[in-house]
Amino acid sequence: MQLFINPAGELSIYRQIMRQITEAIAAGRLKPGDKLPSHRDLAEQIVVAPLTVKKAYDELESGGFIETQRGRGTFVAESAPRPDAVEAPAQLKAAARNLLAQAYLSGLGMREATAALRDAEREMANERRLREKES
Amino acid sequence: MKPVLEFDNIHRAYKAGEDVLAGVTFSLREGEVLGLLGRNGAGKSTLIRIAMGLIVPHQGTVRVFGAEPTGDPVGVRRRIGYVAEDQVLPPAATIAELIAFHKMLFPKWDSTIEADLLDRFSLSRGEKIRNLSKGQARQVALLCALCHRPELLILDEPAGGLDPAARREFLEASIQLLNREGSAILFSSHHMGDVERLGGRIILLDQGKVALDDDLDNLREGISLAFLPASSGRQQTIAAMPGCLRVHEANGELHAIFRGAPDSVSARLYAATGGAAIRCGQAPLEELFVEMVGGRR
Repeated sequence: MQLFINPAGELSIYRQIMRQITEAIAAGRLKPGDKLPSHRDLAEQIVVAPLTVKKAYDELESGGFIETQRGRGTFVAESAPRPDAVEAPAQLKAAARNLLAQAYLSGLGMREATAALRDAEREMANERRLREKES
Repeated sequence: MKPVLEFDNIHRAYKAGEDVLAGVTFSLREGEVLGLLGRNGAGKSTLIRIAMGLIVPHQGTVRVFGAEPTGDPVGVRRRIGYVAEDQVLPPAATIAELIAFHKMLFPKWDSTIEADLLDRFSLSRGEKIRNLSKGQARQVALLCALCHRPELLILDEPAGGLDPAARREFLEASIQLLNREGSAILFSSHHMGDVERLGGRIILLDQGKVALDDDLDNLREGISLAFLPASSGRQQTIAAMPGCLRVHEANGELHAIFRGAPDSVSARLYAATGGAAIRCGQAPLEELFVEMVGGRR
């Protein structure tokens, strides 16, 4: 699992970790039962304080995305909730504003933005299907 | 958890009547990571030098592991790893000689960590200090500060003048120390990206006092930055609102920093100003820093 951390990003680092793990689950790059690195190992990999990674893991666990089995490690939950169902509406709106701003910058409008959204959805679904076929 | 470091109402001036530190109070617990921020001259290094017992405060008390750092300097120094802002290493010595010297000073010296760090930083023992690049010299200084497995690591502007790759290696070594020892770390830095990566708690020094003292994530998520058009009397109105940390004018716009989430801050400002056009959002640390202490000189 490769995470990209951007300290100057809009989201705090623990939220970036959470978002990228839930996205990996949504896209099928992480599957139920997959083992995650320990929070200390991941901290060294991505060069972030161990407590920050632990905070992300704790939040993901209380959201039902991952589960810790004592002595064995941390795993993707067998029935992980769909991330979009719990995505904070405010964050979703912020992302939508970015999408619209990008559309207007390119001289496009609401109709094209909606089409791009549908396209992206189809692409992600495709990616998920391909990965499921592979395994 | 008991504090490893306590500052209580510290005052220090270099010129009479001009306090660099004017009543600084905070403490650092075991295993806590604390980033000390502030403009050049805000007193970060002065505070760190006071903690190290290198200078004494003019007023107030400092305690390291519960004792005055000047009381038992050797005992205290053995439990601390320290890299100074302008660390000077003996130029004629080799790395091996410098390490041998530190081994003598620190009974807890760990040769495994030493070998690991020499390897990580690609340093060779036979190299003379004077032949090292600036980045390598700082890596040697960090190695000397880490190998005795300190309970408290104090880094004064550790990344000053380092290229991004060397800074990252510095961070990696610090994070490994956190993983391995759970040591407390006090560091000062102007690199907000590094500060965000090390995480933990942030203290912002401004005008000799603690202007902000909070968990990094609370700062990132619990503080909002609002922009609105300037008009007469508006700045005073906003400054008087609860939760307002600072409001100032720049380029005909008011910049206001508030405790609270963007939605609620935006709503309160809208009500207080009778319907001004407001842009409000969360701010990365760098923006927060500039908005809190920028544009005053």
